[in-house]
Amino acid sequence: MSFLAENLPLIVDGFILTIEVTLFGIFAGLGLGTILAIGDIYGGKIVSTFIRFYVEFFRGSPIIVQLFISVYVIPAMFQTLIDPIIAGFLVFALNSAAYQKGYIKGAMQAVFEDQMQAGLSVGMSKPQTIVYVILPQALRIVIPAWSNEFCSLTKSTAALSILGIRDLTSAFQSIAIRSFRVLEAWIMCAILYLIWITIMTKIFDIVYEKKKIPGIEISV
Amino acid sequence: MDLVQQLLYMLQGISTTLLISIFSFLLGLTIGLPLAFIRTYERGFAVFVDAFEKVFRGIPELVLMLLFYRGVGLFLAFPFGDAFFTATFVLGLRSAANQSQIFKGAIRGVGEEQMVAARSLGLSRLQSILRVMIPQVFIFSTPGLGSEYALLVKDSSYAFVIGVPVIMEQADRIRKATYDPVIPYIVAAILYILLTFPLATWLDTWGSRKKKQLGL
Amino acid sequence: MAEIVMECKNLWKTYGKIIAVKDVSFQIREGEIKLVFGPSGSGKSTFLRCLAMLTIPDKGDVYLRDQCLTKPSVDLNKARAKIGFVFQHIWLFRHLTALGNVELSLRRVLKMPKDEAREKAMEALRLVKMEDWAKHYPAQMSGGQQQRVGIARALARNPNIILLDEPTSALDPELTGEVIDTLRDLARMGTTMLIVSHEMPFAREVADEMIFYDEGAIVETGPPELFFTNPESERAKKFMARLIKKTKRE
Repeated sequence: MSFLAENLPLIVDGFILTIEVTLFGIFAGLGLGTILAIGDIYGGKIVSTFIRFYVEFFRGSPIIVQLFISVYVIPAMFQTLIDPIIAGFLVFALNSAAYQKGYIKGAMQAVFEDQMQAGLSVGMSKPQTIVYVILPQALRIVIPAWSNEFCSLTKSTAALSILGIRDLTSAFQSIAIRSFRVLEAWIMCAILYLIWITIMTKIFDIVYEKKKIPGIEISV
Repeated sequence: MDLVQQLLYMLQGISTTLLISIFSFLLGLTIGLPLAFIRTYERGFAVFVDAFEKVFRGIPELVLMLLFYRGVGLFLAFPFGDAFFTATFVLGLRSAANQSQIFKGAIRGVGEEQMVAARSLGLSRLQSILRVMIPQVFIFSTPGLGSEYALLVKDSSYAFVIGVPVIMEQADRIRKATYDPVIPYIVAAILYILLTFPLATWLDTWGSRKKKQLGL
Repeated sequence: MAEIVMECKNLWKTYGKIIAVKDVSFQIREGEIKLVFGPSGSGKSTFLRCLAMLTIPDKGDVYLRDQCLTKPSVDLNKARAKIGFVFQHIWLFRHLTALGNVELSLRRVLKMPKDEAREKAMEALRLVKMEDWAKHYPAQMSGGQQQRVGIARALARNPNIILLDEPTSALDPELTGEVIDTLRDLARMGTTMLIVSHEMPFAREVADEMIFYDEGAIVETGPPELFFTNPESERAKKFMARLIKKTKRE
């Protein structure tokens, strides 16, 4: 295991980057995804057609393709340079938003029509009803899907290593090459991802249990 | 590299992508379906099935491919020295973990009563599963299976890192040969979208129609 | 005579070919209780929703006291805050406790400070005898209890009028009694109410006027006794006969 100790700083740096990208992706994706969901429900035809194309692109193509488009295609088309790290952060946020929009919209519709009517009937406006009634319910329903999204987002950040960004996978790539202990290196890498994802899934479970309200449950 | 050559490259990319996706889907089905029934009807095994699912859903596909191809392949050149095999193998096991979850939900959706009703007629447990449960389980799981297939098409792109000629790899080769950084990747994106889109939606509509027909 | 609380003139609402509200005019005065009844699908619910502006009518005017709600410049949310509405399927906010359900509009619409809102909400819950259930979520209550909270939610803002859309018809028969009792209490307090309901004994007891509504229009109005003894229109006669037969069977 000594080869691990020698490379600890490399691993820690990689791990931190992986966590940063994932957390940024999931929270920015939640914000943007909520906006997209509301836009899709209320925005009218043009907005929802635009959103459909957006979602189809980000959900229909692999993350690697999206990353390559952001660092090769877009700079070439607009004659600019984009820092691969910034591109990476953005791609994961945009990608996650496309998925989260789906969950949130589904959950909003599940709590939707009757709760909106009830909100209006007590004198609240539509935006007030969304904020105080629809979203608190929808976000609770969405937690399990969110946990899944967190897993798959974490896993897909491994693709950053292809762009030469120093994430966890990339750290072990160099360790494997330098130490000649390829199998051990990759097993170690797999275990670290597994531990991290398991811990986070557990946390999501706890949050779900804590926030659970009788009568608002998901039907899986 | 002329246009015809590029086209041939892309065709190879499409066929490789489809082959990996289909084979790994079938591998996932043959492992995942029995696992779902085992965990439901033999509670003692649920822990093992859970562990299997956790491992293959909790490690990046890309890392698994590198682990088996570069790592295990060093010691077991057959079969893990073959990149195509390794990619299919990894995605197949990942898919088994996902499909086991999908079928678990579907079994719950079909409901215990169907099983009890079948047993009350004197069918054995295996017969009940084969004749009564599985046909309904498939109808219940169509949306999940559709998106699982789409996921495999997309995840097959990770095989790019071990040099399998999937669409992504071919796009990269064309980019290197033609120095055009735009068209190859755009084409790749469109191809992936086309390959994931129709089947998933088709399965979804088929499933809900069937469900309605049978009043499930 | 008491002041007119709510009024509508020549109200229309159509859904495709179905005319739910056909040129309906109506008024209700302070402290009055009016009861709307008629065959299902006749448009009673739509009529009620139009009065609360939960459904926007196609034509005609709705007045709440002196304010015309059908003018485009009206802030409908403010207007709805002065109208209580009770739904057939209850529709409590599922993520909030009984107290939270009643409190929400006091806090967010009337902008009451927290303590005041709480006190006011508890008062409303006491009125429907649900104060012991303040901390429970809708899913933990029976249908009748939920509907009483629904009534408290409509009541808490001291609205000018409460509109109730078949408040008991979605409940199990053995649970309707407690809701009717609550409504009786409200009646005793002099609350202005427009109720869509088929609870005939209750109607006979509290209603100042009954309104027979069919095919999108008011067919006949009159005191309860009229309908129980000798309604004028054929349609009302037939409907009453069927209703009384059904009630007896139950």
